[in-house]
Amino acid sequence: MLSVEDLSYTYPGGTEAVRGIDFTIEKGEIFGFLGPSGAGKSTTQKVLIRLLRGFQGHVTVLGKPLNEWDDSYYEQVGVAFELPNHYQKLTATENLALFRSLYSGETHDPANLLEMVGLEEDADTRLSQFSKGMQMRLNFVRALLHKPDLLFLDEPTTGLDPVNGQKIKEIIRAQKEAGRTIFLTTHDMTVADQICDRVAFIIDGKITLIDSPRNLRLQHGERRVRVEFHRDGLSSPAQQAEFPLDGLGDNSEFLEVLRNNPIETIHTQEATLEDIFIETTGRTLT
Amino acid sequence: MDIQRILILLGKEARLGATNFMSIYVLVMPVVLSLLIALVFGDLLAQTPRLGIYDASDSQQFIQPLLDHPSINTTLYGSEDALTRAVERGAEEIGLSLPAGFAEAMRSDSAQVDFTVYRWGEAGVRNLLLLESAVGRAMAEGIGSGIDQLPIGVNAEQLGSANNLTWSQRLLPLLLIMSIVLGGLFIPATSLIDERQKHTLIALTTTPATLLDVYLSKTLMGFILSALMAVIILLLNGAFAGHIALLLLVIALGGLMSSVFGIILGSVSKDMDTFMGIIKAAGILLYAPGILKIFPQVPEWIGRIFPTYYLMSPLLEVTQNGAGFADIFIDIAVMVVLAAALLILLNSVIGRQQQKLALET
Repeated sequence: MLSVEDLSYTYPGGTEAVRGIDFTIEKGEIFGFLGPSGAGKSTTQKVLIRLLRGFQGHVTVLGKPLNEWDDSYYEQVGVAFELPNHYQKLTATENLALFRSLYSGETHDPANLLEMVGLEEDADTRLSQFSKGMQMRLNFVRALLHKPDLLFLDEPTTGLDPVNGQKIKEIIRAQKEAGRTIFLTTHDMTVADQICDRVAFIIDGKITLIDSPRNLRLQHGERRVRVEFHRDGLSSPAQQAEFPLDGLGDNSEFLEVLRNNPIETIHTQEATLEDIFIETTGRTLT
Repeated sequence: MDIQRILILLGKEARLGATNFMSIYVLVMPVVLSLLIALVFGDLLAQTPRLGIYDASDSQQFIQPLLDHPSINTTLYGSEDALTRAVERGAEEIGLSLPAGFAEAMRSDSAQVDFTVYRWGEAGVRNLLLLESAVGRAMAEGIGSGIDQLPIGVNAEQLGSANNLTWSQRLLPLLLIMSIVLGGLFIPATSLIDERQKHTLIALTTTPATLLDVYLSKTLMGFILSALMAVIILLLNGAFAGHIALLLLVIALGGLMSSVFGIILGSVSKDMDTFMGIIKAAGILLYAPGILKIFPQVPEWIGRIFPTYYLMSPLLEVTQNGAGFADIFIDIAVMVVLAAALLILLNSVIGRQQQKLALET
């Protein structure tokens, strides 16, 4: 679906934003592109959505070299930007209808898309009266209007409350189920962990790691379980104990803790994506 | 380039422009100014040509058709003195002094009959033509001949100010430049800057609509408004006259120049403040020929320095002097060259704009 080989991009001022990165994305995959601000993830996305030309390397999208595509590219590619960019004087329906009319292929009914993200009651409200969260939801569904094969989503859950954030994640998963490929740019490790099939860490224009969140967690985590419990009943302060995962069922000390004390929490100690990012790049995501 | 998408985007421009303060300003401003000028200088509300007649004997058969004429105001004066005073102060645009025995001499069909026509110095060309034609027709009907065969000798005398342009005619060039340039330049420029600042432009260019489609829709919007405003201003000022096809050609070229220049300015202006700064600083250069035209004593060649002169001059020539294509050929050629140069520049601007947009996002 998408293949990037030795991609580099240098801005006119001489800043080398992307330095020879390689990755491929399979059809139906959700690929997370993670990195702090200025790491090169936005530049990479701009190259892939044909906003920035003059890159070095080979990029193939939907079976065709990127620089051989014309503007029909956008009939098959959907883009949702990080910041809302709608016509504020038009209503939500009018905004979607305008963009819908620019596509020549099959499109979704704007009413269905608005219902999908819980904006059906605000369909006839001008965008100037929308909150940022509402505008973000509209941003997201606008990318789905023309049923694209490949979606580029930039921080799709930014500015959303947990309920709507969850709704967006469910829609992204549903798009994957429908066979669409999704390139997700984010610095939210939780979102990436929850919905991405694979993630790539980019820092200083280079990809340092690519794998599935699960593999990364397993590889970089400790094979231990941490138990929080109250040794002398619920009134006592919680205590913690850690036990190796291997042979846990035969670990008498662990079993004794379980049998004799009220348990507050039990967690395996696999690493979070953020821990792994910090461990492998030496940087934080802020 | 896709015509259907350009039309969709043009519809969007019209829809959003209708509620945009800048659009309303540039559309309403020239109309309000036209009405104000007409109100102050009287041309709009008193456009009916004014004819004064002093009849030294009984020439009723020639006078009556003029008194009954539905399109002119005819007043009879008791003396030649009263008539000349009326013409001198502008109460009448033409004064007709018919000498004693005029009617009899006209009917005798033997010799040439002389009479005097007084012309007010500031009378408009259009009214003068109407009045002279009405007088000629009345006399021809009176003796049953054709206008060409009238046995008359006219002593024409100009009274009042030597200037033959009314204030409304002097201000018309400025109004025309304002309407064509404001409509054509401001609308595409402000619309483009607004879309760039609100990032809707980048959203459009990640659809099958190209940057060229977007630019063309905005240019077309400016062109339509510009042409429409020019026609409205000419109609309001009673100047939509002459060779209409030629007039429309000049208006179209002016609209094209203005809207392309507007979209270029919108592209190179960082934001609305920068654009307004450019207009404040350099706008005078656009209006200069119109301002110079207010003062007839300023030599014509000074106006020729400014590009908008080549739009204003043929418009005035066609509407006020009845010029034909051959008379304004050079002005039209200059406009075509300017429009072509602006289109080449626009092409280069669009090429660079895509990169600029990506960097701004």
